[in-house]
Amino acid sequence: MPTLEHDSLVFRFPQIEKQAKFSIQFQRTLRIPDSDKTYSLPPGLGLFPVRHAEDYVSKLPQATNDRGGVILPMWQSEAMWINFENEGPDWDLEFPVAIKIAAGKINAVTGEPWKNGLQGAPQDYVVSPNQPWLDGFAVEKGVIRQFVAMPLGEGYSVEEQLTGEAEWGGLQISVAPLKASVWNKKLEAWKQAQEERKKYFANESHLVAYSYSMCESRPMGLAAGGKMRQEIYPDPYNLEDWDFSAAERVFVTLVHAKDWLGITGEAALDVPPTASEYTKADLPWFEYYGKDQIALPGGEKFGNIKSVSSIFKKTTGANLPGSGDIAIGKPIAVGPGVKCDRPIQSSKSWE
Amino acid sequence: MHHFEDEASSIGDHLRKLREKRAAQDRSFSLRQVAARCEVTAAYLSRVERNEVAPPGEETLVKLAGELGEDPDVLLAMAGKISADLRAIILARPQLFADLIRSIKSMPDHAVLRIVRDVKDGEW
Repeated sequence: MPTLEHDSLVFRFPQIEKQAKFSIQFQRTLRIPDSDKTYSLPPGLGLFPVRHAEDYVSKLPQATNDRGGVILPMWQSEAMWINFENEGPDWDLEFPVAIKIAAGKINAVTGEPWKNGLQGAPQDYVVSPNQPWLDGFAVEKGVIRQFVAMPLGEGYSVEEQLTGEAEWGGLQISVAPLKASVWNKKLEAWKQAQEERKKYFANESHLVAYSYSMCESRPMGLAAGGKMRQEIYPDPYNLEDWDFSAAERVFVTLVHAKDWLGITGEAALDVPPTASEYTKADLPWFEYYGKDQIALPGGEKFGNIKSVSSIFKKTTGANLPGSGDIAIGKPIAVGPGVKCDRPIQSSKSWE
Repeated sequence: MHHFEDEASSIGDHLRKLREKRAAQDRSFSLRQVAARCEVTAAYLSRVERNEVAPPGEETLVKLAGELGEDPDVLLAMAGKISADLRAIILARPQLFADLIRSIKSMPDHAVLRIVRDVKDGEW
């Protein structure tokens, strides 16, 4: 079963590999402007706190208690990205997992209703370590619409737009490991490669020349925010390589940040800066460079999804604050193609 | 699981080994670049790696852990420290946690992991 450690959901599959773990973090981030423009990656602004739902049974609705899992607070119209952290038995040997993510039980990759197991056509999951993070709903090839929290029942969430119901909200996550037989083959191949590398380095004349080319109590639902460049990568394994029977799942209930103190006794989160405030502080945006992988098409069901600002405009006649386009400088390259990770900005950066 | 009884090296040696292992494949793990990303000087990090100064404080150790892919609790323990959040947890119920830790000190890893609380799943 998954555990909750330092605000991360941690999945272990010791029956397959004792030395591996896979973690999911929920990153606070800027809400990018919700317009026709497609933006680069915003930074992380630190982790959302995550708590066991069962610790607050008397403060939560019965439906949340029935679903179990965890709770996390978000402000209305706050954005999130979901980070994947993969730790294998050695620092350069990761333990692949297939991750299915849904919001309001709508699959974030395909737009289809939640189904147990994994589907290959269309692929309804992502694979870590290939996919480093997920920032939103995969609306078209190479483009996502950012995950933005809105109160459930007001018509904003993707769940309500696609099903007409405001039943689930939150996030649903399932993680499946490789089958033991497939993992053991991969492990053996890695061990052999290590042996060959040791022999290679035993010859000191190689040392100078060697270098790698890789520069490597108010339920909330998730609505579709602004557009961002982000590819969803295809599974490099076969569908039958995954061990569905070992999959673990978690329901993440999103609660309004205003209610967090009342539920948990912990202070509410600061309100995050707007994209405009962040950019005015001359702070950077990012662009991910993968390893020449092709990208999956977006979910067809997302074709008619309305964004938060367009629904807000239609319902209130006003523009959603912070939805105007902004000019950002040249984004900083991140990812396995260029060495650096997507950084987390501390609050000192914009205060 | 990290076991200190197997660990003959000091925190300085451990940090240097972790960094050099990465530097062998990625030049951005040079002393200078790692120090810059952790907001310390290269001279200071070099002295830490050579055990010439006391281990860094919690903030720097946590940054180094993130940079070098090590568990922050492992680095803090090697430095003879305990993280602020763990300290607060223990101080809130010192007798309970002292008894708990003493009672499980000889348990094998798999048995200790069994008492880590799972995230409960429900109906959905």
